[in-house]
Amino acid sequence: MVGARMPRDSDTSSLEKLLENPRVWRARSQPAPAEGLSSGYTQLDRLLPGSGWPRQALTEILIEQYGIGELQLLMPALASLCTEDPGAEPVEPGWIAWVAPPFQPYPPALQKFGINLARMLIVRPRNDSEALWSAEQALSSGTCAAVLLWPHRLDDQASRRLQLAAEKGGSWAIAFRPLAARHEPSAAALRLELSADHRGTRLAILKSRGGSPAVLHNVV
Amino acid sequence: MSMARARRSPVIARDSAPTPDTARRLTQYALPLAKAERLWFCVYLPKLPLEACGPGDDDLAVIEERQGVHRVLLAGARARAAGVLPGQSPNAALALLPGLRLEERNEIREQQVLELLATWLEQFSSFVSIAGRDVLLLEIAGSLRLFGGLKSLRRQVAAGLEAQGFEASLAIAPTPLAATWLARGGQRACVREPANIMAALRSLPLSCLDWPPTALESLAGMGITDIGDCQRLPREGFARRFGVKRLLELDRALGHAPDPRNSWRAPERFCADFEMTEEQGDRELLLAICHELLQAHEQFLLTRQLGTQRLLFTFFHLKAKATSLPLGGARADRAADHWYELLRLRFEKLVLPEPVIAIRLRGGTTRALHATSGSLAFQGGAPREHYYSMSQLAERLAARIGNESVHGVNAVADYRPQYAWRTRDLFAARAADALTRVRQGIERPLWLLPEPELLSMENGHPLHQGKLRFVSGPERLETGWWDEHGIARDYYTAVSPRGAGLWVFRNRDHQRDGETAWYLHGMFG
Repeated sequence: MVGARMPRDSDTSSLEKLLENPRVWRARSQPAPAEGLSSGYTQLDRLLPGSGWPRQALTEILIEQYGIGELQLLMPALASLCTEDPGAEPVEPGWIAWVAPPFQPYPPALQKFGINLARMLIVRPRNDSEALWSAEQALSSGTCAAVLLWPHRLDDQASRRLQLAAEKGGSWAIAFRPLAARHEPSAAALRLELSADHRGTRLAILKSRGGSPAVLHNVV
Repeated sequence: MSMARARRSPVIARDSAPTPDTARRLTQYALPLAKAERLWFCVYLPKLPLEACGPGDDDLAVIEERQGVHRVLLAGARARAAGVLPGQSPNAALALLPGLRLEERNEIREQQVLELLATWLEQFSSFVSIAGRDVLLLEIAGSLRLFGGLKSLRRQVAAGLEAQGFEASLAIAPTPLAATWLARGGQRACVREPANIMAALRSLPLSCLDWPPTALESLAGMGITDIGDCQRLPREGFARRFGVKRLLELDRALGHAPDPRNSWRAPERFCADFEMTEEQGDRELLLAICHELLQAHEQFLLTRQLGTQRLLFTFFHLKAKATSLPLGGARADRAADHWYELLRLRFEKLVLPEPVIAIRLRGGTTRALHATSGSLAFQGGAPREHYYSMSQLAERLAARIGNESVHGVNAVADYRPQYAWRTRDLFAARAADALTRVRQGIERPLWLLPEPELLSMENGHPLHQGKLRFVSGPERLETGWWDEHGIARDYYTAVSPRGAGLWVFRNRDHQRDGETAWYLHGMFG
């Protein structure tokens, strides 16, 4: 029994020393590819750092009104998240949580975009604080690949909390906010502004961590 | 040893006496069997009558009626310090400590506490036996390896009992009676070899034996005060004077006679009460009590390899009707911390009309639930405690914002747009998972309005933020004639002047003011 006890402290430190050796290769400690999640729109991918949506971070989409393609913008990426990738290792596909959506996400259309309906979670909180809490829970749970949130208000602190929860759970957070919020500070890694008129849509990258502002027309 | 063997002979002689030859042979064959020794762990609770009245009550004395007179049976720490002693009359005790609270001994409650403890002890051994009013016995020979040896097992039991507020005397011996007597004698004894039992018991006073006082008195009159003295008495005379039962007890304690015991089995459904001495309104305290109940519940299920999906907390009030708080989970679970978290979320919203006098926790129907192996420490370096499954997430969300507010979705093969989907209960079994593929290729909006919205009109043209521009259509949907919700609509895709993609329709048969009414039913998002 006594012989089985190990001098723990010295052991871990010597292990750490060993791991510091540059010749030791650890599968898990590979630098995470900064690669983003392809948006499915080549024009947009080219402008985003990591050529895609930032994974494990908060993306804010500022919209003037609903129905101008704000969901279609996300659909290809969301579909890739919640369906099994035949080539990749067998990982449970993630869930997509919809927190406080303004209308009913319509399953027939979602199916058409390739969304796996069995992986949809709809949460209808009664107020903003519950919405924020739900989104945080979903993000940090590690089960949701993406969490879509429609808050009435989202202050700087709340956005920071979402950003942290997204990092913790390795989940993609998307918050839809009105255009008026563009002057409010936010911790989001990516802020987009989507507007439309009779000529078509205009997508502006307002803030992009590691990227630069840009404007795109008629992406969706 | 030889002495014991010599004294044993009369008992054997009563049965069919083996010849010396067969006896030797029996011993030879018995040797391998001796390897499968049993080891008994006795938990003796000398203060159970007091402890059953609730934890940490120093001003309390338990009284018991004997021959029509009440006497103090046991006193709490502060009462003892004030000079309250067992055997005193209640009045004398009250004179010593005016603030003393007297409580009648409640043997039913003692039994309940004993059963709860037996349940708790079942984690250490599959064989737990309630032996008398204040003694629990565990057979631990098979558990030693799992719990890291005798010392470690003993330490775990002792720590657990202390944490639950019980003063226990523990002893380990190869026979149940020897263990019991050693524990009653207050000796931290640990005898592993049957050969050493006699040495351990020899000096034990006879008062540890739970024999009738008359027998003890007459033994004391003979100058017999410990077990060693007893052993030296002639067997026949001893049996005649004090009964064969006493002799048998001695034989059993020393391992000369078999001592079969019954394993205690708790009921399969958990139900436990926590009664308070006075009404409590402090919610934090109530939560702490609930946590305690949940831990007992976890132990109960753990020993049976069970889990449950439902729990019911009932809060009793003195004057108002009891408040109940049901908890439900998406999968069978037993972890107290998991249930506690759910409880905390629900408890925040619970309205208690009055302070609480008692809390009951009743477990739901149970399901087999086997523990999953934890991963080896060096495999998963990242802390995974914050990660939980979808069902756990859904439970947490539902606990806070309500069951109906958390759901999944399904598509349904119905041409009527409002019936082409349905919410999916995440807590139901996967039965509702039968997905129906809808026809591909038809244009459907990503957003559906809960109710079609009537559009204002201008010269027969529908308006939404201005005049609509039609992109495609009509798609005629005329179906549902078999129930009241039949539709006959022409759906169009339109774009508003501000660029929103809209899904609008007009009814084919309902005319309004001579004009066709237009409705907005969805947005292309």
